Amino acid sequence: MSDVLIELENVGIAFDAQRRVGGNRFWALEDVSVSLRRGERLGVIGRNGAGKSTLLRVIAGILAPDRGRVRRAPVSCQLLSLALGFTPHLSGRDNAILSGLMLGLRRRDVEARLPAIRDFCELGDFFEQPIAAYSSGMVMRLAFSVAIQIEPDVLLIDEVLAVGDAEFQEKSGTALRERMGEGHTVVLVSHDEHQIAALCDRVLWIEHGKSVLEGARDTVFEAYHRDMHLSGAPA
Amino acid sequence: MRQHLIELVLFSTYAELRAERARSYLGLIWWVLEPAMKMGVYWLVFGVILKTGGPDYLPMLLIGLTVWQWMKSCITHGGYAIWTNLPLIRQVSLPPLVFPLVQMFADTIKFFYIFALLLVILWCCGYPPNMAYFALPLVFVAVFLVAAGAGFVVASIVPLLPDLRFVIEQVLTVVMFLSGVVFSLKSVASPLREVMELNPIAVLMEATRGILMRGEWPNWVGLTKVSVISVAICLIGTYVVTRLAPRYPKLAT
Repeated sequence: MSDVLIELENVGIAFDAQRRVGGNRFWALEDVSVSLRRGERLGVIGRNGAGKSTLLRVIAGILAPDRGRVRRAPVSCQLLSLALGFTPHLSGRDNAILSGLMLGLRRRDVEARLPAIRDFCELGDFFEQPIAAYSSGMVMRLAFSVAIQIEPDVLLIDEVLAVGDAEFQEKSGTALRERMGEGHTVVLVSHDEHQIAALCDRVLWIEHGKSVLEGARDTVFEAYHRDMHLSGAPA
Repeated sequence: MRQHLIELVLFSTYAELRAERARSYLGLIWWVLEPAMKMGVYWLVFGVILKTGGPDYLPMLLIGLTVWQWMKSCITHGGYAIWTNLPLIRQVSLPPLVFPLVQMFADTIKFFYIFALLLVILWCCGYPPNMAYFALPLVFVAVFLVAAGAGFVVASIVPLLPDLRFVIEQVLTVVMFLSGVVFSLKSVASPLREVMELNPIAVLMEATRGILMRGEWPNWVGLTKVSVISVAICLIGTYVVTRLAPRYPKLAT
């Protein structure tokens, strides 16, 4: 049990459907149980609206459960968020520091990583210019270059596997796959089954906010495909 | 963890000020020009047209509005900070108090620029520096605590009830007039004046004016009472934000 980092037990998360007095609530997660062990790469699959992203935010500690329990070891847990806190009138350098701090890095750690961030984003002198002058592709290059620097105990990834133009997609995708292969504990949410199959050891399948099956990758995929075939619904 | 948050607040404050400077053509000049224009309006109405100000009206008005503008900015900017940062709060697990604090610190730094200019004006107008200046840091801490406390309370509620924004400005205008910011409470008739002087903001206004215009040490008993009240407001604000924190990531802006 000691290598279990995070454990969710029958967790439910409710949102208010409308901002008004007496408005209805809906349960984005109804009943999800899962445990995450050290060094494990867990993939989360399910159809649109199944609650995958909400689950990731519960694991990240952003959302507190409205029912059920979350037990966590004293570990850092970070969602790989791009362009977190980015401010248009600040330079690429200042935005990198700000975003790094928001992602949980200490100031001295971000400063130490700035040369690596600058090299990785390949923005040259633009790194010192306000990001308001960047194209959206350049912003994503900078955003990814900062985000890939974080090294939490548990890395949470919501679909973000590669960004930018074809060349940078290749580079960012490779960097992230390397990061996932370094023995880190990772939870990956993706629509792309091939990616989950290639990168994860275990898989959690959720549907309508409920965990359907959790287990070895091949076993869960087999059941998932059988269900899709029966229901005829697209993934 | 705590050091990381301090670094985050400090760098975000720097980023906020830098971004604000870059957003307009005149940049830094607006930090001083905007309050100067507001002071000009009140001086025109009360000092020139109505002539109700009295002989020391201009310095009294300048001091009152400088301090009030700082408090008001902390309450409104800090008060809206959690609400405007909800998209960020949905993505990252940070204590929500970080966001109002950043705004309040940025407004405090802007206040120091304006205050430095105010001192120069006062010295030129015949109100020289004096020993009572040593009491200013204490008065400023009390002003900041009152503003921060009120700002935290507003910040905690606005994300749940954004409609409050339409009321806040009006409430603050009423508070400004009830606190002797643009006129001296000494010009108010007796029973009402004593009631108005119970207002902690009025006590702080009078303390600042006494120090800067007359070299008077503040009324320590009054200042202590205000400090206790402001610490209490601050604690209430912090408590409310902390209690409501789990609800913020579920809210839309």
